[in-house]
Parts: sequence; structure tokens; C-alpha cells
Amino acid sequence: METLTHDIVIVGAGIAGLRAAIAAAEANKRIDVAVISKLYPVRSHSVCAQGGTAAVLREDDSCDLHAWDTVKGSDFLADQDAVEFFVRQAPREIITLEHWGCPWSRTADGFINQRPFGGHSFPRACFAADMTGFHEMHTLAGKATIHENIHFYNEWFVTSLILKDKITAGLTAIKLKTGEMYAFRAKSIIMATGGYARIYEFTTFSHTSTGDGMAIAYQAGIALKDMEFIQFHPTGLVPSGILITGGARGEGGYLINADDERFMKDYAPDKMELAPRDIVSRAETMELQEGRGIEGPYGPYIALDLRHLGEEKIDERLPLIRDVAIKLGGVDPVKEPLPIRPAAHYSMGGIHANVRTETPTRGLYAAGECSCLNIHGANRLGTNSTSDCLVFGAVAGEEAAKHASSASLQALPKKKVLAEERRVFEEILGQEGDEKVAEIRDDMCRIMSQDVWIFRVGDGLNNALKGVVALKERAANIGVKDGGRPFNTGLVAALQLNFTLDLAEVTIASALARTESRGAHSRLDYPKRDDGNWLKHTLASYAKTGPRLEYLPVTTTKWTPAARAY
Amino acid sequence: MNHEADKVVKFTINRFDPQKKKHYTSVYNVPVRKGMTLLDALIFIKDNFDETLAFRHSCRMGQCGSCGILVNRTPLLACYTQVLHLESDSLTLEPLPNMPVLRDLIVDVQPFFDTYKRITAILMEPREKRNKLNEFMQIPEDLKKFWDLTLCTKCSICYASCPAAIDDRFLGPSTLATNYRFISDSREGCSEARLKAIRDNIWLCTSCKSCTLLCPKQVDSSSSIITERGLIVETGFIPRTVNDVLTNVFKYHNPLGIHQNRRTEWIQDLKVSIQPTAGKADILYFVCCLAAYDPRNQETARSMASLFNKLGTDFAALGAEEWCCGDHVLRLGEKGLFEALAEHNISRFRSFDAERIVTLSPHCYSTFRNDKPYSEAGLQTQHYTQFVAEAIEKGKLKITKSFQKKAAYHDPCFLGKRNEIYEAPRRILEAIGGLELVEMKRSKENSFCCGGGAGRVWTEEALPEKRPSINRIREALDLGVEALVTACPFCITVLEDAVKVLDVEDKIAVMDILELLQEST
Repeated sequence: METLTHDIVIVGAGIAGLRAAIAAAEANKRIDVAVISKLYPVRSHSVCAQGGTAAVLREDDSCDLHAWDTVKGSDFLADQDAVEFFVRQAPREIITLEHWGCPWSRTADGFINQRPFGGHSFPRACFAADMTGFHEMHTLAGKATIHENIHFYNEWFVTSLILKDKITAGLTAIKLKTGEMYAFRAKSIIMATGGYARIYEFTTFSHTSTGDGMAIAYQAGIALKDMEFIQFHPTGLVPSGILITGGARGEGGYLINADDERFMKDYAPDKMELAPRDIVSRAETMELQEGRGIEGPYGPYIALDLRHLGEEKIDERLPLIRDVAIKLGGVDPVKEPLPIRPAAHYSMGGIHANVRTETPTRGLYAAGECSCLNIHGANRLGTNSTSDCLVFGAVAGEEAAKHASSASLQALPKKKVLAEERRVFEEILGQEGDEKVAEIRDDMCRIMSQDVWIFRVGDGLNNALKGVVALKERAANIGVKDGGRPFNTGLVAALQLNFTLDLAEVTIASALARTESRGAHSRLDYPKRDDGNWLKHTLASYAKTGPRLEYLPVTTTKWTPAARAY
Repeated sequence: MNHEADKVVKFTINRFDPQKKKHYTSVYNVPVRKGMTLLDALIFIKDNFDETLAFRHSCRMGQCGSCGILVNRTPLLACYTQVLHLESDSLTLEPLPNMPVLRDLIVDVQPFFDTYKRITAILMEPREKRNKLNEFMQIPEDLKKFWDLTLCTKCSICYASCPAAIDDRFLGPSTLATNYRFISDSREGCSEARLKAIRDNIWLCTSCKSCTLLCPKQVDSSSSIITERGLIVETGFIPRTVNDVLTNVFKYHNPLGIHQNRRTEWIQDLKVSIQPTAGKADILYFVCCLAAYDPRNQETARSMASLFNKLGTDFAALGAEEWCCGDHVLRLGEKGLFEALAEHNISRFRSFDAERIVTLSPHCYSTFRNDKPYSEAGLQTQHYTQFVAEAIEKGKLKITKSFQKKAAYHDPCFLGKRNEIYEAPRRILEAIGGLELVEMKRSKENSFCCGGGAGRVWTEEALPEKRPSINRIREALDLGVEALVTACPFCITVLEDAVKVLDVEDKIAVMDILELLQEST
């Protein structure tokens, strides 16, 4: 197997990955940076981020206020020192993108415009219409292309992380075009592979969001943190689950039930539709469960009514969702309310890392959704994720460059590389089992949607855990029908299934253990937040018998946990 | 989502096995329900019928640009198209053209992405200081000037449909549009370097407009390219070939650089009234420079005049007072010269006061209808195919002789794509007895340009393999037709040249519809 060597290898080319690549390349021009992605850079899921990017830009807003909103939104599970660092860095990132040419939406007098967003007590969501992530991505891609010390490996699929004596040594990846596996050596590796909400069926996520980096790190022995906290977005378009931005409510959209009522008055009388996502999604679910959903061909739904905003404002501020709703939902928001339901949207959890994006493994960094730096806690506020990707993408790039400037390359343990080659090509591709990848994937999504959704109970979680363990056994007996090497998308699907099953298992095990309700994790059998026992982070590590759980304390600096009302 | 299928649609998919280097097709019958996109259907096929089918996809909401494919010859995003909206029981899916196929529906997009390395897709020299601590100022009106161009997803559909992109020197529509997006960004301070990056290759664009018409996000790359050319023309750094065309038009009022006094030579012994001696006539026959001066196209010009005479039409031409319509000049970026030509021609039209103008060339037709100041001069313009089709319909023109040949019709871009005239020429051809009319693989909205538009008929310098015309003739040869029929002097010139380059004059003839009519009436 051929070995390729770079100082830094970044896995993933979304907002965090590209931002990291630019930061690393700029930190040291002699450093050689590789970006490996299973897609082309502008194809990553980050292009789907719509509503905005949170940052304090104006004098009447403050970093303290942004931090407080974030901490309160997190249901006090966020580490407050990390949050304080995060909000202080965010404005710089907005200005950096601006100076590269990001087409931010503007105020009448030419400043970057900001819109209100759920859970934020100041309009601080910088936006580029409703295509914020898209424009950030294209700006970053434009910038990254200029750097001669960034080398792109587009459409390469990373299969495993290779450590030597618990230090980062490299990874293995398949060049999809030919189907050949290569080994990579690097001093620093940054995981920036995004989320894994594709363990659910009704999700806002791209088909490719399968949590590869999280699973790869987990399988290599790095812990995953707070994986029970999955965010359900209040407005997934029925029936596809495609995201309708929270910006639609930020601009003044109403949520309406079958009784034609703005039901949020019963759940968050002050913030109404602009309460944080966990609260709105729970409210919608209660309405649906209590029979106040509107009947439609795909089951009961909630109406997102934008008609009162008028065509002009919709076209200026929300042009993408109008187009998407017309083309894919057959509904024009100017004329009719949009049918929506909560959809799996984001994972607060991820690869265990600190505020410098360092994982416990030397030379391994994590940024963006695949990481858990403890800034979102139990529930992320809308528009904090793209800020997270930008801020910590930059931090990861700088830290990885610093490390690569002084560290030396590790030798790749040959045995591990060969074992990985055998696993992929003999145990998975070469196996002629009866089980089908698509069927197991669909069964997993069904289990997760049934028992690991917005409201959870012990029995259901236990069943789900058993179910997923059984699926893992079935997955050991799959047959990949596609025997060819070039662009073997069947093999990719099998590898992704392997990843998602592990992540589903960790999610369930973490959720089962947490006997309280906090943020996005709602246990009907433990409906209250329990700070005495559970103001702590879950750490899940790989073990042959299933995830091994440990806990870490939460850092509080300024704000004592209090009741969370909106 | 267990809903019964609304109908079953037959999917025929062109496949490629890179290991066996084998092209083949697979057919699947897919139960389709309302709301199902083409991508959903592909995933359904992969999950239920055939795991080996390879295609790209990711966001499934039209933003990531992964899933461009050809569906019944039209390039589109699979995720952004509902199957039922295509209103067809049978769909043929193919990989995007212009790029090498890697496997099944997956093409090699690396060359497309590489074109972005040749421009700078961020601000280069901002007007305000780079070290400014807060944002650059930009009012909403200034953002609006380039906003639409920022919507490009880099899906490569424009590149796949672009006749110029078969030459890898060409940057491609979306890359040129991105370049222009930064030129027109009020925060940017300098456009010189951006023009330098494109000024040696932008002339390959033929203004066929496929890029703009097929873009899933309605990004108007075609107009961006013309505006960029205008900026380059202002700097003076234009290739000699382009300069020659513009100079000829400036000096002689025609791109061929022949004296205006010889503009009536095509008439020979035909009966054609010439204004101003003609006085008033019902129809003003606008001949086109190429048809007036170029011996090959003079035949067509004469055929039309004979036809007028045969029909007893009261018509006249402008003679030496006809100046180039300016279409090519405008699309080469010389707007000032175009306007001068237009003003002259409009003044002649006014003094002539004909009921309508009939043009031989789709280029004259298109510019009279769509480009200011012509479009605001209240002209009644017809392309000759419309005039002739009307005459046949009303029974005025009788087709007496048959034409025993298999022929295909090549849609001129300025007649078809730009003006949606697809039926009139076909109705004429269908009226000719014995003619077996077949459709080109790429026809009508998806037609492929001959390569002669926007002045390229005169500036062509690409290697034969990189010329759209060669590509187009090969497509016609694949159909086994004996004649490729069209309705544009520029298409005739460029396509006939390709026939000569390919040395297939014994296999295929390039003919104007008028020449066919000359033989059949």
C-alpha cells in the first residue's frame, strides 16, 4: 500500500475543515496541509446551514449576553470558560469572512445585518439571506484554493485512524476513483467530519452526514462525549425533512396547530416561536401527540405560517426556502403555510476535545459538529453551530500547525495498516453474507426514530439498545453486491453503516444512563433536570462489550444553574 | 412514507463499468409517488434493485451541486426535480457530457473545479484597508448588483452543456461568472488582474446561452461573459482576431471587411428592389453580411429572394444601406459600436416604413427583437422560417418536388434557445415529401451550438478536436443522416468547414432549409 505524507491532515472539507486548513496554511507557510473529503469541498453538508452565524458585532450587544444565552440554552451543561472563549472569537470570524468577500446581507446603511434567532436575546445572527452556510463555504473554498500549501484529496474516504503508542500516526483512506487504499502519515490530524443525524430517517441532514470522523475516533479509542444530546429542529419540511431555517421564525413566522392557534403561548409565553429549539420541538410534539396536528397525506403536521411577512420580505430574506418549498414540497410559503415537523438536526455531542480542540490523543484535533468542546451543552442555540465551525476550525488549524512545527512524524504500525486493509477489502467487501446494507440502515433509522426521538423512556431505550446490538450482529453478515473497485458506493455505504451503528449504540447507551431531562434529552420517566446527580458530561469509550461510560464535571464560571424559562 | 405508487416509471440508465471499460444500459421500473425526486428514485433503485448503480448525491436540497445528470437529454439536479413533474413514463438517465465518465452517472469533475484555480474567488484588493477591524461597507443596492451570481453551486451543469468548454483553455461559464461576481462587488478595488486572467480565453464563448438557460439557480453566466468582454475591450487587450472583426465592422460596416458598395453583388440577375429607389414595400428583406458577401451563403440569400418572387411578395432590401446588425459585435463586448450600427439601421427601417422585416439570419432576428435600441424601436421582425412556414400553412407555397434523403435539423441557438423558435423550421421540413427528418441527439432546448456565435465564426483558432462544429458533425454522422439542415448562415459556414476538416463531404451535406426549398418548389 502506498503511503502519503503531510504535516497536517484534515478530514472533512466543510466549514470547520476548510477554516482549519486556511488557518494552518497561514500559520506556517512551510507546513504542508492535506484536506481529505469523501466529497468535493463545496458539496459538504455545511452548505445547507441556512439561518445565520451568531456573533456580537454591535455596541448594544455584549459577549457576556451571548455567553449567557448560550449557557442558558445549553441547560447549563456547557462549560462556561469554553463558551466565554467562543463568543469572544466569533466576531473576528465574521469580519474575516467579510474581508474575503462573503456576501453578507446588509442593513440599509451598509453594515452586516443581523436577525433575531431562537434563544438569543439580541438579534446577532449574521446572515447571507437564508444561505449562510452556503456562502461561508464558497468563501472559504475560494480562499483555500489560493493557498499553495493546501492539497485537496477530493472524494477520498477515510476508513480508520492509526495511532502509535497512543500518539497520532496517520490514517487509511480509499481513493474512490480507483478504489485503492492508501496510508497517510501526519504529525497532526484534524477531524472535521460533521454530524451523524443520518441515524434517523426524518432528518434535515445530507445523505452523507454519517458521522465518519466520530466513529473512526471512537473505534481508535478516543472517547465520545455527551452523545445523548441530539437536537431536533422544530421545522423540518414534510415529507422530506429538508430544513426550513429557524430564520423563518426569526423573521416573524408563526407556528400554528389544527385549532389555528399559536400554541407556543402555552409553552414559552415570552419568547413564543423564538424559544430555543429543544423547547419548540417538544411543544410541537406535545401538540401532535394530543391530537392538535393538522392532518396531511404524510400524517399530522404543524403549520409554519409566513404569509403575513409578504412576498417581498420572503424573497429578500428567505429565497432558498421558498424555492425549496415550491420545488420539493409543492407549497409556496407566500400563499400557504408550510407543513413541518421536528426533524433530527444536530449532535451536541462528539469527539471529546478541549477548548483548544485537542483530544486526549496527542496530535489529534477535532472541530465543528464532530467535536464536543462543551460549548453547546444539552442544547445548541440556532446559529451557534456555524460560529462554532469557524471559531474552532481556526483554532484547530492553528493548534495543529503549532504541534506539527515541533512534533515529528510517527512510523505507521504496519500491522494496523494491513489489518485495516483486510477489514475493508476482505471482511466487508469480500464477504458474501445475506444481509443487505440498506435494510439494516433502514431498521436502525426506525429504531432510533421510535425510541430515541424527542421523548425517551427507559424501556424504549433498552429495547433500542438491544435492537441496535442485534443490527450490529446482522451487519457482520452483510454482502456487498458490488465487487468492483472504482467508485464502489456499495462499499462506502457498508463502511458508513458500520460507523452509524456504533454511533447509534453510543447515543442510546448514553441516553439510557442519563436519568434526568436536560436540554434536548427528555426522559418521560425522569422529567426533571437533576443538577445534583447529572450536572456532568458523559464520556463513552469503545469496549468490546459495548460503550464504557464515565463522567466529567461541568465548568461553571459566572452563572449558577437556574430554572430555564422563556 | 408507505404510500401507494401514483405510477410506474421506466428508468433506462446508461452505465459504464470502468474495469471492463464497458458501456451498457440497465432498465428499472420504479413505483413513483407524489413528491418523489429523481434522486429518491435513484436511491430506491440502489436499495431495492441494484446495489451496483453508482451516482453522486449529498444534500438532497439543491445546494451542494453533487447530483447533476442528464434526464431525457436535459441536464438537471436529480434532487431538485420531482419525477412526476417530468410528465413522462419513460426516462433515460445519462452522465453529464463534456467530462470523462468515471462510472455510471459519475463524471470526472476535477477539470471543472481546476478552472477555479485560474481565477481568484475572494476579494483581491479591497477598496477599504484589509486590516480594518470591522466590516467593509456595502449598501443593499450594491449587494444586489452581484447577488444573483453568488448563487452558483458549482454543480457543473453549465460546463457540461457548454460548447466552448470542450477546449480546456476555456474557463467555463460558472468560473467566468464567479470572476465577474467579484468584479462587480463594490468592496473590490481592482478588476485589472481579474480581466488579465480571462482575456486570452473568454472569446471562445459563442453566446449560445445554454449555461444561463440550464442553470438550476438561474445564474446568468452568459451575460456576465459579455460584460467581461466589454471591460476587456475597454482596456484594449484583445486578440488580433477579435480586433480585426471589430475594426472591419467599424470601417466597412460588415465583419468581412469588404466595401459596402459590393453588398448587392449577391443579387446577380435576380429581381430585387433596393431602397431608397424601391419606395415603400410590404417586407424589408434584411439579408445579413455573411449572406450578402460570402459566396457560399449568397446562394441562400438568392434562394430567399427567389422565394419572395415566387410568392409574389412585395419586398425590398436595403442594399448598401444595410449595415451589420451588430449582434456579434455586441456579444464581443463592443456595445458602443453595436449602438451606432443599430441607430443607423433603425433610421433606415423608419424611412422605409415596411410592415415587417424578414431576416435571413437568426442573429439579426434575435438582436432586433431583444437588444436595445432595436427592441424599443417597434419593429415587426420575422425569421424567414416563420415567414415560410406561414406561407406553407396558408397554402401559398406549394412544395412540388420530393427530396429523398435522411436529414437532421440543427437548431441555431439564436433561433431556438434564445427565441424558442423550434417548430417553424420543423414544419417546413415536414412538408417536404420524401424527406426523412430525424432529431439530433441534442436538439431544441438542449441543442449544441455549432460554435460560430459571438464572432467565433471569424476568430476560430481552436484545434479541430476542440471545435464545437466538429463535435456536432460527428453527432450527425452517428445518426447516419445524409444532410444536416439548418437555418442560419453562420451555422452553415462553421458546420460545412467541419465537414471539410473531417473529410466527410461524401457522407454528409450541410444545407440551409432555403436550399432544400429551392430544390423542392
